[in-house]
Amino acid sequence: MLDKFTEVLRSRISRPLQYYEDICVRCGACIDACHFYAASGDPAHIPAHRMTLAKQVLQRRDSGDGMLLEWYRGIEGDGQRLTARLERAMWDCTGCRRCAVFCPFDLDTGLLVSAGRYSLLQEGIGPEMIGEIGDAEVSKGEIIEDIKEFYIEQMKELETRLQEETDIDIRVPMDKEGARVLYVPLVGEEAIVPAAKIFHAAGEDWTLSLLTATNHSYFTGDMEKAKKVARSVIEEAQRLGVEAIVYPECGHATRTLLYYFDAWFGDEIGGLTRTNIVKQVAGYLTEGRIQVKPGTFDTDLTYHDPCNLGRNGGMYEEPRRLIRSVATNLRELDPTRELNWCCGGGGGLIAATEDMDDVRMMGGRPKAEQIREAGVEWVVTACENCKTQLNDLNEHYALGVEIKGVVNLVADALVW
Amino acid sequence: MSVVAFIFYYITPYLAVLVFFGGIGYRLYRWSRKEPVGAHLSLFPRPEGRLARLADALVDTFTLRGLFKVNRLLWVGGFLMHLGLFFIFVGHIRAFTDFYFLWNLLGWGPEQQHTFSAVAGTIAGTLFTVPLFYLLARRWSGSMKWLSTPEDFLILYLLVGIGLTGFHMRLLRDVQVQELHRFFNGLATFNWQPAPVSTGSSFIYHFAFVQLLMIYFPFGKLTHTIGSVLSKMVVRS
Repeated sequence: MLDKFTEVLRSRISRPLQYYEDICVRCGACIDACHFYAASGDPAHIPAHRMTLAKQVLQRRDSGDGMLLEWYRGIEGDGQRLTARLERAMWDCTGCRRCAVFCPFDLDTGLLVSAGRYSLLQEGIGPEMIGEIGDAEVSKGEIIEDIKEFYIEQMKELETRLQEETDIDIRVPMDKEGARVLYVPLVGEEAIVPAAKIFHAAGEDWTLSLLTATNHSYFTGDMEKAKKVARSVIEEAQRLGVEAIVYPECGHATRTLLYYFDAWFGDEIGGLTRTNIVKQVAGYLTEGRIQVKPGTFDTDLTYHDPCNLGRNGGMYEEPRRLIRSVATNLRELDPTRELNWCCGGGGGLIAATEDMDDVRMMGGRPKAEQIREAGVEWVVTACENCKTQLNDLNEHYALGVEIKGVVNLVADALVW
Repeated sequence: MSVVAFIFYYITPYLAVLVFFGGIGYRLYRWSRKEPVGAHLSLFPRPEGRLARLADALVDTFTLRGLFKVNRLLWVGGFLMHLGLFFIFVGHIRAFTDFYFLWNLLGWGPEQQHTFSAVAGTIAGTLFTVPLFYLLARRWSGSMKWLSTPEDFLILYLLVGIGLTGFHMRLLRDVQVQELHRFFNGLATFNWQPAPVSTGSSFIYHFAFVQLLMIYFPFGKLTHTIGSVLSKMVVRS
């Protein structure tokens, strides 16, 4: 049983994961880190225990000789129960790596879960939806040249509407050769309109990508497909001859852009600057390319560090600087920055829809309690998955807050 | 001398040394054979540059500052135990040689050296052994019960055994350093000398436990000695 899983997982044990397998002392520092464990008390959710569960298959001996050694290592194995535990261990995770921050050795359970998910999927274990969306992203990237007219038409309509609403000659250029910046959005206007306003105010020579930045194969641990999707973006950037790629308010996409693209594409992308929209906008503000009205918002608000932008991305100051430039009452959550609680919605859990909704709401409980304790009216964040999750948590736990986006706040406070 | 005692005094020590160093070499080799992950793992705060990452990892190693921030109680137990361990390592130089430079500087004769060794050794042993009981006890309840494996308990028992036998030799007997020099240098030069007697009955257990520790070391979680720095350097890159 689980033979395919075992074989594939073994092949995915990279050097950092081998360290993890060998040196975890089960000190338990990670016990207090995981929002799933805090909410469920299920041992399969303890980060270090997820590795012990993986070891059940990685270190199992089939012969009786291994029994003493197995006992000593805590290898129990047991078909069905083990499979169920493995499923929870690998899928009930957002890859937030709060556990790695708590770990004295920085052992990366997020990396383990990526390998574990990919391996479980070889046995057909796990929510299929995430992979299906990932496959759709790969396909779109492959046929984009053939279907681009559809998107260009859509954006023309949006552009017209935007101009009518704002009474400003805002453009939403698409497929523009020779533009300086390629902005890759998410599905939905919210990721396009605020950015378009700010680019216009900054006088930026930009073009909207035909693609979207999301990369659901990253969530299923399918790094080959994730690379393919990323390659489509690079190909568009090269075709249009842009100098910079700007990614939207999206945690996992930004993480791949800044920290995976180098390994995937090396020198090929040497000439391209890669950054996140929040940093880009912060740059415009610092350089005086955009003006905002200070104190536009005086509500009590706080900033939620998305895990992939914060502890996994190192971007803490720019979103705060932007918020302070337009709002007066910014308060910090407790804990904050690299210790911030994960919203509980990352790792593809939102894409998994009904399969993971209950788990997602359960895992979000520490976050909900943290927000309630903060006593704010608005929670501002810079990741679309976080926004969706926080909105769901707001309803589920009756928090009585509103969820806002950083770029949106700045766009609403622009002085034209 | 019994056959068993003879084996543990004069034969297995060489085996232990071979397995210890050979095993570590093998472990490092195995690690080097694994593929690096194809991305920067980028856990923040992330020091810029390899040297900075190494320095940061070493500061963490010597202070456990990350643990201090997230689990104060565990930090106390872990830090004190490792601090005691460090002092014990330093002090055990006296099995082979001595701090002649220090003794000359302070003008201390054999009696003063002996007293200092007794006091310092007892402090070090206490710092090492007492927290072990805490580390053991916490594995008996709550979440730690789910997480802990038999290996975790066994190694703690072994370390407690080493600590307690050490105490026995120091506090209930009167270990004489010259006997240790003679015996251990004898082993090192293959010029075998009589085993120490001032140490009493605990010595063979202490020595045997330590050899067991050395043989176990390369194959278990104690390799975190080396692996922790390597892991931190790659995950914060």
